[in-house]
Amino acid sequence: MRGFQVKHGWFVLFGLLAASVCLALSTGPVKLSLFAMSVTERAILFNLRLPRLLSSFFVGGGLALAGAIFQGLFRNPLADSYVLGISSGASLGAACAIVLGFTSPLAVFTGVTFFAFLGSLLALALVFYFGSRYGSISPFRLLLAGLGVGLFLSALVAILMVMAEEELKALIFFFLGGFSSSGWETALATLTLIPIGAWIAYLYAPELNVLLLGNDAAQSSGVNTVVVRALYAVTAAFLTSVSVSVAGLIGFVGLIVPHMVRMIIGADHRSLFPFTFFAGGTFLILCDTIAKVVVAPSELPVGVVTSLCGVPFFLYLLKREKGDYGL
Amino acid sequence: MNVMANGPILETQDVSFAYGRALVLRSISFAIQPGEFVALMGPNGSGKTTLLKTLLGILRPLKGEVLIDGRPVDSYAPKQRARLIGYATQEPAFNFPLTVAELVSLGRYPHGMRLKPALQDEAAVEEALRLTESTSLGDRKFTTLSGGERQKVLIARVLAQTTHLLLMDEPTSHLDLYFQLQVLETLKRICREKMASIVAVLHDLNLVSLFADKALLLKEGEPVAFGKVAEVVNEQSIKAIFGVDVTVKSETGTNHYFFQRRTLP
Repeated sequence: MRGFQVKHGWFVLFGLLAASVCLALSTGPVKLSLFAMSVTERAILFNLRLPRLLSSFFVGGGLALAGAIFQGLFRNPLADSYVLGISSGASLGAACAIVLGFTSPLAVFTGVTFFAFLGSLLALALVFYFGSRYGSISPFRLLLAGLGVGLFLSALVAILMVMAEEELKALIFFFLGGFSSSGWETALATLTLIPIGAWIAYLYAPELNVLLLGNDAAQSSGVNTVVVRALYAVTAAFLTSVSVSVAGLIGFVGLIVPHMVRMIIGADHRSLFPFTFFAGGTFLILCDTIAKVVVAPSELPVGVVTSLCGVPFFLYLLKREKGDYGL
Repeated sequence: MNVMANGPILETQDVSFAYGRALVLRSISFAIQPGEFVALMGPNGSGKTTLLKTLLGILRPLKGEVLIDGRPVDSYAPKQRARLIGYATQEPAFNFPLTVAELVSLGRYPHGMRLKPALQDEAAVEEALRLTESTSLGDRKFTTLSGGERQKVLIARVLAQTTHLLLMDEPTSHLDLYFQLQVLETLKRICREKMASIVAVLHDLNLVSLFADKALLLKEGEPVAFGKVAEVVNEQSIKAIFGVDVTVKSETGTNHYFFQRRTLP
């Protein structure tokens, strides 16, 4: 029964992905002729649209997966990297790198990505510290801590923006988000870094399933809850920071996509994670395409499009699930 | 998993436990033989759940030792220990739409189930659903179940773990009379047929008397009595730990307990 649903879900999803890919590659300010492409047309396709497509796919997948991880990890259906303030931490790190010109000690990261990661870890530590009491985490406390930490770190970002006159343009461009400047450099960064996080998430899905039963039950089942929780928290922060450093703040992909996926194929993380990854990627390809065309020749920030779809869903959830989610 | 034919499956020697400075368990010593059903009794906050967690090795005793099958509980690898001891918590259930079958199959985790269930995993899940009369719920989402159905499914999860020792924190809470009897009957049968041992937190004196072989009575973390139910659960001990007057009538070896209304001070 469930297997049937999962199989059909995958079938539909890959259909949608294929359609989104075709749509994304074929739309843009320049109309491409499918046959007998000129050199310029080929350059537009391979050096602009293709890397942009790849970036939006992996960032969407990464953000959605990070949301699914946070929701499962904290057993809280309203959690995601945005609500928990992890995105704000990542953007603070990224802004520091831009303004102060920090560079990365590791070759695989750009300075912006590396400091975004550090920033997200800082936010994570703060949310864990303020969101827990006597070693246990209540859903209500966690969300409040996340909102508080997020607001505070965003305020620090605002101060940086005021101080930084020279880099202001770069910062604003960064925080508007989106993929309009995505080239092969960003595409390669996302397609190497995000799958690492996705793979770790997939590997420990059975442990996270047991953790859904609660900390004591999971420990009694032989799960090393401290290690698994830490691993997932850092992995989700990593996915968030790579995404933020490539595309700025894009809200609600992490919240909306995992919930839609749970409604379709259920809550088992072994299928939820891969499905959420592909669904998030497909969703962001579509949103980016919409962002590209609705006000052409200029573009909407992609975060505006995702939020336009995401916020109503968030409010609907909040209203509908109030009793059940123990908030 | 072979259990030693002789010797207790579980033994505690002078176990004490403290949260910070507050002593919660004070020198508890008792032993449970294979096939025994032990009721853990005591007022709210008397340390029953803390004792269960200490027996599991989740909490480390301040003093003393917990032996499982003759070996210290912390000498087992976590999964190995989980194949010996199952634990049904009292925690509020979660809000994610796993199906009943998926949830019960989480009990197979310590047996190495990761991506696909093996034949014995499927058999154990089916058996656990059958024992709790939950087979028909298999495809339902856990979040759509009633409180009693959820309780049965959570117990089925522990049964699917197929352990020789089961620790149950209030297994009959949320259940109606029929399912209270049915769940305890199921646990009793596992004791008899599989020589499994059970430690269950129970509050109903009559259910304790009907199903448990022995009882461990706690008050403020101190063991008040441990022994055969008919002998240790009596007027004096109930008065001592709960402060309630009770009349005991014995009928064919089983105690029945009657209460009076109390006048409030």
